[in-house]
Amino acid sequence: MGSRPPVRSREARRRWRGYVYVLPAFAFYVAFAVLPALHTAYLSLFEWDGVTLGEWVGLGNYAEIFQDPILRRTVFNALVLVVFFSLVPIVLGLLSAGLLARYRRPGMGAYRFLFMLPQVVPLVAVGVTWRWLYGDDGVVNQALRAVGLDGVARAWLGDFDFALIAVGLVGTWVLSGLCMMLFLSGVQKVDPSLYEAARIDGAGPVREFVSVTLPHLRGELAVAMTVTTVAALASFDIVYVTTNGGPGEQTTVPGLLVYRLAFSEGKVGLAAALAVVLGVLILAIVYLINRLSRDRT
Amino acid sequence: MDSTHRVRRRIAATVCAVALVIPLAACDALTPGSATAVPGPTSVPSSTAVPGGDVTLHLQFADAPLMVDALIAAFEKDHPDIDVEPQYKTFSDYVQNLKLTMTSDTAPDIAQYAVGMTDLAADGHILDLAPYREAYGWDKAIPPVSLDQLTAGQTSEATGGRALFGVPAGLSMTGIYYNKELAAKAGMDAPPKTLEEFEKQLAAAKDADLTPLGVGALDSGGLHLWAALLNQLMPTDEYWDWVNGQKGATIENPAAVEASEDMIDWGRKGYYNESANGTAQVDSTAQFTKGDSVFLINGNWAAGQLATVMGDNVGFFPMPGVQPGSPTVASGFSVSYAVSAKTEHPEAAGAFLDFLTSPEAGQIISDNGFMPPNPDAVKKPTGVLADIAEGHRRAVADDGITTFPDFAAPAMLDRLRSGVQKLISDRVTPADYLDSLQDEWEDHHGE
Amino acid sequence: MNTVARSERWSGYALLTVMAIVVVIPFLSVFLASLQPAGTPVVGLTWPERWSWDNYETAWSVAGFSDLIRHSLIIAVGVVPACLVLSALAGYALGTMKLPGGNAMAAFFIAGLTIPVELIVVPLYFDLRNLGLTNSYLGVILVEIALFMPFSVFWMRTHFLSTPMSLVEAARMDGASSATILVRILLPLARPSLMTLGLLVFMWSWNQFLLVLVLIQDTTKHTAPAGLGFFVGQNSTDIPTLAAGTIIVMLPILILFVVFQRSFIAGLLQGAMKG
Repeated sequence: MGSRPPVRSREARRRWRGYVYVLPAFAFYVAFAVLPALHTAYLSLFEWDGVTLGEWVGLGNYAEIFQDPILRRTVFNALVLVVFFSLVPIVLGLLSAGLLARYRRPGMGAYRFLFMLPQVVPLVAVGVTWRWLYGDDGVVNQALRAVGLDGVARAWLGDFDFALIAVGLVGTWVLSGLCMMLFLSGVQKVDPSLYEAARIDGAGPVREFVSVTLPHLRGELAVAMTVTTVAALASFDIVYVTTNGGPGEQTTVPGLLVYRLAFSEGKVGLAAALAVVLGVLILAIVYLINRLSRDRT
Repeated sequence: MDSTHRVRRRIAATVCAVALVIPLAACDALTPGSATAVPGPTSVPSSTAVPGGDVTLHLQFADAPLMVDALIAAFEKDHPDIDVEPQYKTFSDYVQNLKLTMTSDTAPDIAQYAVGMTDLAADGHILDLAPYREAYGWDKAIPPVSLDQLTAGQTSEATGGRALFGVPAGLSMTGIYYNKELAAKAGMDAPPKTLEEFEKQLAAAKDADLTPLGVGALDSGGLHLWAALLNQLMPTDEYWDWVNGQKGATIENPAAVEASEDMIDWGRKGYYNESANGTAQVDSTAQFTKGDSVFLINGNWAAGQLATVMGDNVGFFPMPGVQPGSPTVASGFSVSYAVSAKTEHPEAAGAFLDFLTSPEAGQIISDNGFMPPNPDAVKKPTGVLADIAEGHRRAVADDGITTFPDFAAPAMLDRLRSGVQKLISDRVTPADYLDSLQDEWEDHHGE
Repeated sequence: MNTVARSERWSGYALLTVMAIVVVIPFLSVFLASLQPAGTPVVGLTWPERWSWDNYETAWSVAGFSDLIRHSLIIAVGVVPACLVLSALAGYALGTMKLPGGNAMAAFFIAGLTIPVELIVVPLYFDLRNLGLTNSYLGVILVEIALFMPFSVFWMRTHFLSTPMSLVEAARMDGASSATILVRILLPLARPSLMTLGLLVFMWSWNQFLLVLVLIQDTTKHTAPAGLGFFVGQNSTDIPTLAAGTIIVMLPILILFVVFQRSFIAGLLQGAMKG
């Protein structure tokens, strides 16, 4: 280190000086996000009630997560939510992009405004709203009764078969607009001559979609998958205000259980372990999505 | 350059501030819990003197907001210097956050006693009130037995006698409300004497095309029903052993299986309101007032509201026993208040708790549908409130007031709530359900 | 235009329109419910017989939503400027200077985009309590700044990467220091990006729930979403007041959304894209 030519060392020092600008952001980020995340990992190795002295249990808490049926169930529920938060909105988004890819689209501004609305309001408010819509006297049952389906009407959030689906559809409601807008603005960038060329080749709408539209949306697709999957796996707000995990454990998600275990059941270590599993799961899925979308380039 | 210097200086200051925080945030990492001071049990002074000067007490609670408001108004009239600020939370929010709340720096001065207070008492987060019991003479003002539920199983370090971690305002009890008009329609002329008779009445209500039993199982209504059945089938002392965490106690026994089977059976027969699992207790009560069901499982805390809306059309009975001569057993607890160890005004808090034992407070408590700890000091209630008072009197005489099953462990409320929802919807076998409860019990009581 | 194309286009618009209706109904339903007389049972979509704004008054003063809104504003006012300043500084260095290991540093920030609140909230509660920062807005502000820092730094770095380097080079030739270049030349150009970032950060701060639920135990200090979460448990039977409260909590962010529509939507779409 010390035997470098003076010119380079002065130049290097000058370049290092730029870190002065990075340091404040870095310090905040490390102090209140990175270190707590590491601290969570550390706490997950203890059995601790949050008050008295903790006891080292190594990976015991992780073993419990994979054995305990309730904990496993929450991870399963989160994966089911991925279908509604991620898969359905993406399919809807691709469908709208496929149908409208080749046309100029007047009046898009109004749609865009409406579709982004669910994105900006607090999820708690969204949950409170849907809790009422799904209730005995809510809009959902009102609509069913209006078309003569009185027998189908029920308190959706209290129903063992439908509660998770009902919560999932709230996610669909929130995220579909975002996906549609992402894909529609994505296809806008496609060169119209490509569609002309496809049509001259005799491509039908489906083949056109597969061979022209879809490949151009690869970036948007990766983004939509990442955003929606994270929203599904880390869901908390909507579940907390609509079902609080019930009935039974039908809608209990990892986030809710982390909160309950740590702060009302006195199982801080187990909560930390579950949080780590959740974090790793999210990281793995995000990595996988980005890896796959890049590979195909 | 001037602005550059200023920016640099500001950056430097920020860096220093943040650099200080990092080690602070990290140092506690080494052994979780080591940084939290464990003060051990602490107690109040042994005098009843209240220093002068204006004082504000924060009171956090989860039951009977109308009663609490009335109590506070009456207390503040007697003590103009002391201002009591009530903070109401729903029961599930309250219990879910109780430990966080009571261990935080801004713990309320006074808080309603609930599950988890036992642990908080052991760690010294709430005050041992035993010295006040002697100084104020609470043992004489109210039956000592109602204070015995509040010892957290401890001996007082200050007095050497029983510890005391709360003072009861009203005593509670669960049971069955019935809509007299609808009950007559279903052919019921008197409250049932036995469990079997009650089942017949439920069946008759079903045959009359009415919804027999309203249950608010979204929160704790379902577990009240299960506990009420369990009370009739399981020997009371075995139940107490289990709730108190006695070594070797178990809930996996034939009586509990039978109680759970009954709940499944009633669901199969369609006795519950259709959306029981999606209905909160307050909502089930509101629906009952509208005549949506013949019976309603709930506690006396709903009585004030029911009496106001339904007048003479509502009655109450404790869940009947197996035999006509069986003792009356019902789940109940006191709505009691504990004092935070962080309070700066233990004397004023003591004065408030003492007020709760007075005849004036007793009357307010009784008017709101709760049993005052000193029933002799109040006017005889009427209507549904009289039914409840009579039921409670019988249960007390039979030594049949049991505590709620969620007191067995901090996480038990969640297990019970979700487990009972499964029973109602026929989604679990009694054996699996009881096994999940016992697992939680063993987890907490360390077997 | 042939028939396939026409039907394609029409079904496309039909899909968008159905979706738009589905999006609007919940908002409309809550809004109409909020105008019904307090305490009355409300069934689904019901046109109020008489427009009454009483519920808003009740929610605002009696149910304490005015305090909740104020607390949320305090936090947002602390978080937004700090995020803008810190991320502008860091984004400037990472975007325009060839820092040794600069790419690794940028990647380190980007990795934070996936941190869910659940992963950090448990130790944060205990650590901040030891520092006396629970039940305090400062505690929430500090954590939110950290939580939004990955995206903010990333956003500003992307912005500075796209500014022409010739500007920076020319200023450097004139002997301007790095701070001068940032303050005098680059920041004025960055105004639109900063504006969009500010809106996004405000929105995230306003909507944050779990963090506040844990860090602020004192219900008198709750923020708007946390207060609403508690309110729904206590007043699930009084739909009109609950609906009014829900609208009040949504209103500030809705107003910003209407006023700054363009920045907002661009931010949400590009923000997602770039992330």
